[in-house]
Amino acid sequence: MKKSNILVTLLTLMALLLAACTGEEEPTNGGAVQADQPKEKTEVVFWHAMSGKLEEVVDQLVADFNEQQDDINVKAVFQGTYEESITKFNTVAGTKDAPTIMQVFEVGTKYMMDSGKIEPVQKFIDAENYDTSKWEQNITNYYAVDGEQYSMPFNSSTPILMYNKDAFKEAGLDPENPPTTYEELEEAAKALTTGEQYGFSILNYGWFIEELIAAQGGLFVNEDNGRKGDATEAVFNGEEGQKVFQLISDMYEDGTFYNTGQNWDDIRAAFQSGKIAMYLDSSAGVRDIVEQSSFEVGAGYLPVPEAADREGVIIGGASLWMANGIEESQQQAAWEFMKYLTSPEIQAKWHVNTGYFAINTEAYEQQIVQSEWEKYPQLKVTVDQLGDTKTSLATQGALISVFPEARQKVVNAMESLYQGTDPIEALNQAAEETNEALKMANRKK
Amino acid sequence: MIAVKDQIRVRPKSKRRFSTLLEGLLYLLPSILLFAVFLFYPMFKTIYLSLFLTDAQGNTQTFVGLEHYIQLFQSTSFLSSLKATVLFVLYTVPAGVLLALGLALLANQKLKGIGFFRTIFSSTMGMSVAASSVIWLFIYNPTIGIANTIIKTFGMTEMQWLLNPDTALLSVALPTIWMNTGFSFLILLGGLHNIDSSLYESGKIAGVGDFYSLRKITLPLLSPTLLFIVTVSLINSFQTFGQIDILTKGGPMESTNVIVYSIFKDAFVNFNIGSASAQAVILFTFILAVTILQFKWGEKKVHYQ
Repeated sequence: MKKSNILVTLLTLMALLLAACTGEEEPTNGGAVQADQPKEKTEVVFWHAMSGKLEEVVDQLVADFNEQQDDINVKAVFQGTYEESITKFNTVAGTKDAPTIMQVFEVGTKYMMDSGKIEPVQKFIDAENYDTSKWEQNITNYYAVDGEQYSMPFNSSTPILMYNKDAFKEAGLDPENPPTTYEELEEAAKALTTGEQYGFSILNYGWFIEELIAAQGGLFVNEDNGRKGDATEAVFNGEEGQKVFQLISDMYEDGTFYNTGQNWDDIRAAFQSGKIAMYLDSSAGVRDIVEQSSFEVGAGYLPVPEAADREGVIIGGASLWMANGIEESQQQAAWEFMKYLTSPEIQAKWHVNTGYFAINTEAYEQQIVQSEWEKYPQLKVTVDQLGDTKTSLATQGALISVFPEARQKVVNAMESLYQGTDPIEALNQAAEETNEALKMANRKK
Repeated sequence: MIAVKDQIRVRPKSKRRFSTLLEGLLYLLPSILLFAVFLFYPMFKTIYLSLFLTDAQGNTQTFVGLEHYIQLFQSTSFLSSLKATVLFVLYTVPAGVLLALGLALLANQKLKGIGFFRTIFSSTMGMSVAASSVIWLFIYNPTIGIANTIIKTFGMTEMQWLLNPDTALLSVALPTIWMNTGFSFLILLGGLHNIDSSLYESGKIAGVGDFYSLRKITLPLLSPTLLFIVTVSLINSFQTFGQIDILTKGGPMESTNVIVYSIFKDAFVNFNIGSASAQAVILFTFILAVTILQFKWGEKKVHYQ
């Protein structure tokens, strides 16, 4: 008796579930029939890795685009962090589940080129004679190899020095004059280290080391930073890299450098709570930091050693890649969307809402940018720093397929500095391990 | 003649045996099928992949034989992974099981309102690894975390729990013990409930002390449950991933880079599927050996009713 009761209950539940399922399906079916669309919209699936507030901005841009024309429907899908989304792309690339447009972080560039699953956007630029001269040269350079534009730059950022102006005043330093050289940085950090407060910090993240090396004109790998051919050897342990590591090591021993780990949120929390007075951050985080800090925040250029010539910064962030092996019409639709994203108006919106660069320099002349710059002069510092960058192999950035791995090695080396390892030894170890990874990658060709 | 006779006598027996085997297999078919699809196939595929260089999508490219294995045992990074894994198991399993046992013994008392404590003690079972790890991330935060606030009130200097290679692994082990206690507690409490209460009554009549009855009645009768919990905790501990990913990402200086995390990084960040597969095979052998040893040892000690 009891058993049959349970059976009846289960069956009822199942029936209800089934009913619920079909119930859900109906409106969508009905909707498709009701909407009178003479022609089918071309669907463009856009995978991205923008979370939090950034995702809201992306969704807004996509919604605007879908509204202002009738032929294309873009579907933006958040796929986790850069690392996670590239892994997902990897599993579906070449199948019909693959996205039409894929956002990939800058260090994935070589990896995507080698994957054979993408269509260089140069094809569409040529076909249309699209004028790319208004694009920021320093940004497009990163994503161009041998003059061919592989992907469409989208969200670009660079590192900058963020500092606490109030702490500068208290320490008797000029709050409008942030340190620009290692020597000035060390001095300022000494003055700023008082009580609970440390002078300076860098996130344990490979990108910052790459940037600090490039700022002095140093390369990361051989073969012209991997742009002439496949890199076979890491050269980041050269003179420039040694200077960077020596600086961190010296400052840590002096007690003016604070180790905040690998987490972006932690270093920002440390800055906002007054634990550190200066640190390096991505320009994409500038606006949030300025808004959320209870003190006045300043932004400055990336420091270099006094003796070195300043070359500038490498572009970070991500770009948009187009899938190949799909229908021509879909590619064309994806291209239309890409062009829309790079228009001055959209780029202006993008820049002021996120702090990422506008890849279209005309955007900076837009009214909203000018008025936001008055409110947040820190945003302008990041743009100026990029504008002052000299185009060279160093600032163009390295191209290697094992970048994530190389970064892990560099982070390891950074962490060992806090345990008292000799900076040159730490750096050599990281270079050696990167060489191994490069060797393995080249064997797979 | 005798041989023929023997054959005649043997044949029906083996025939019968064969048909029972077939019948048995038929009963097992559903689980064999499921195991084959979700366990055996992936396992053999992993072994196969560990002998190759693969492209990023995991397609095999060049056969390299045992090269991945040889390289792994020569790499300091993998050896430190092994060490971290073993240490992590040692930190978490004994402490976790003892804590759960203690709590279960306490909660097994027939007291007023004990249900409340039973719920509290098992509550960590309902927490996801991700949520718990994020809570602990805040606790450990060097600038705003409560852990530092507490030790500072005791006059000690503040610590960078997760950033110091000496304390990082311990700092991950602590939340792991906390998270696993709920499950172990619940199973052990169930085991305690199953012990016949008449045994305790007889003990009482004989005038036996609490500690003595714990040693002579409770523990022997609880031993099958204990063996189960120790085995499951061990395997869980070997396979820890979530809290490592959220709390330390294998750092600092790879001090918390346990094998499972190292497999994940190699396969899905660095796209070295071959090397990752080799590590998975090594981990599998490891767990298999430990489990076999445990059962061998356990069979002698465990008292089945």
